[in-house]
Amino acid sequence: MNCELVQEHIVTAAYGELPDELVHELEQHMDGCPECQKEREQLLALKVLADAFPVVEPEANLVARARLRLEEALDALPSKRWYERLSQRIRNNFAGLQAVPAAALLLLLVAGVGAGSLGGYWFAQNRAVHTAAAVQTATVAQELMQPNPAQPELANVANISSIVRQPNSEIVDVSYNQLVPKQIKGSVDNPAIQQLLMLASESSASAAGVRDDSVSLLAAECRRGHSCKAAGLRDALMVALRYDKNAQVREKALKGLEPYVAEDVRVRNAILEALLNDSDPRIRTASINILQPVEADTSVRQVLYSVSNSDENPHIRNVSRQVLNQVPEIQ
Amino acid sequence: MAANAASYPISMVPVPASFVWSGGQRVQSSAGMAVTKANDKANQNQERVQARAEEMELIRQAQAGSRAAFDALVRRYEHQVLRLALHLTGSEHDAEDIYQEAFLKAFRYIGNFRFECSFYTWIYRIVTNLCLDQLRRRKTRREDHSVVLDHSGDEIDLLASVSDNRSFSNPAKELQRKLLGEKILAALSKLTPRERMVFELKHYQGLRLRVIGEMLNTTEETAKNTLFRATKKLRAQLAELR
Repeated sequence: MNCELVQEHIVTAAYGELPDELVHELEQHMDGCPECQKEREQLLALKVLADAFPVVEPEANLVARARLRLEEALDALPSKRWYERLSQRIRNNFAGLQAVPAAALLLLLVAGVGAGSLGGYWFAQNRAVHTAAAVQTATVAQELMQPNPAQPELANVANISSIVRQPNSEIVDVSYNQLVPKQIKGSVDNPAIQQLLMLASESSASAAGVRDDSVSLLAAECRRGHSCKAAGLRDALMVALRYDKNAQVREKALKGLEPYVAEDVRVRNAILEALLNDSDPRIRTASINILQPVEADTSVRQVLYSVSNSDENPHIRNVSRQVLNQVPEIQ
Repeated sequence: MAANAASYPISMVPVPASFVWSGGQRVQSSAGMAVTKANDKANQNQERVQARAEEMELIRQAQAGSRAAFDALVRRYEHQVLRLALHLTGSEHDAEDIYQEAFLKAFRYIGNFRFECSFYTWIYRIVTNLCLDQLRRRKTRREDHSVVLDHSGDEIDLLASVSDNRSFSNPAKELQRKLLGEKILAALSKLTPRERMVFELKHYQGLRLRVIGEMLNTTEETAKNTLFRATKKLRAQLAELR
């Protein structure tokens, strides 16, 4: 190593950028070269001296002023139009296309090799299938993928989504969906739990008992005034009241909706519908009781009027007539 | 080369008793400390990866036209940009102008950023170009900026604004340090803009030569040679000043 090179290395070493393998060589040279030692001393002295003109952190005022000025300038800029952004994106993509020839070649190569080996594999499989004495059925498709296929648990199979037979072979691809039972535990206030409860209350596929449980939990939530509005629980209860086939479930939904009859017109309408159309007299009676304390608007009066005239149950006709009489006439 | 290298007034500044070469780092003797250090390093790496992912997301959003994302990027880098511009130009006013112009350019051209280098390098490239222009203009004007003007036109002294606890209690030392600072500044302003920039980025901002090369659109080797030239010139300047 000559002195000129060493002096360059001294600078890079002083700034921590000399590769480790050269550091040792440099030290060896330095041991026997007073001139380079002096050079290093002076460089290190320069480094110390230069720190007498230190880097200053910008003052908060300066930062704030600069930021404000920038924000004003950015606000004044006209926002980019959609075609400008599009052309920018196209230009970017175009620049990205520079690497396309190499990438395309690589892709072709990979695709070629892949297709070749796959073709050979299939050919061999088909021959094996045709020559075999005992022809296997659908499970062959699975054997292609794994040597020891696990028999699908038929109890967990929800449905078969597709069956594709590969031409000129005995191989069949069967796609099926599996049901995996899962459990979740948490407070009734938990949004995830509420979602599941709503799903259970709305789905006609759920057993009546499950719907009953979920609606009674939701109704209890609503009666206590817990997050009934935010999570859409009220909607779920209205759906249950309108459409559930089980009278017990509808009754619970009605109870859950009771606190909101005065404030929510949609709830009131749902209850009026129940009063008009519900097949169960108990629910119609309960609806009247719920509507009774409400400041009667026109729709309530109309419904009460028609119920008092046309309900098949004499008791209900009677009660609605009484309620109608108690409600002051609206001018 | 050695002829230029006269001895400097080293007694004026506190020189550490021993210099540690960055190449030969001290070895940790305690195994426990080594394990803690390794854990810290792993955590730091993880944080860095996460910060990088966040930044990439911000860039993508800014490219899609989100002002909020661009503002977040500005906040990440504004201190570094101002620090560099302030130290290079010595003027709050110029630093503010460079800040403004750099981020406006970044906003205009962020769609062209293609993740080929780090965003930090990209924004620094804009800033260093603007600073180089500024230094070149100043070179032709031969402006002395040991005393600079703040935004309102009042004189401020960059060197005086740095508080140094050791010398603060000692006015004589403070004065010495200030004089020395002015000499350094004078020596720095004799460098070519490019040499000044490389020395600034390496010595004061502590960047790697490879990154400096990337920022200045050149190679690591060229950056290294420029740094070598700059240190040589500075040493000669300071020797003359004595």
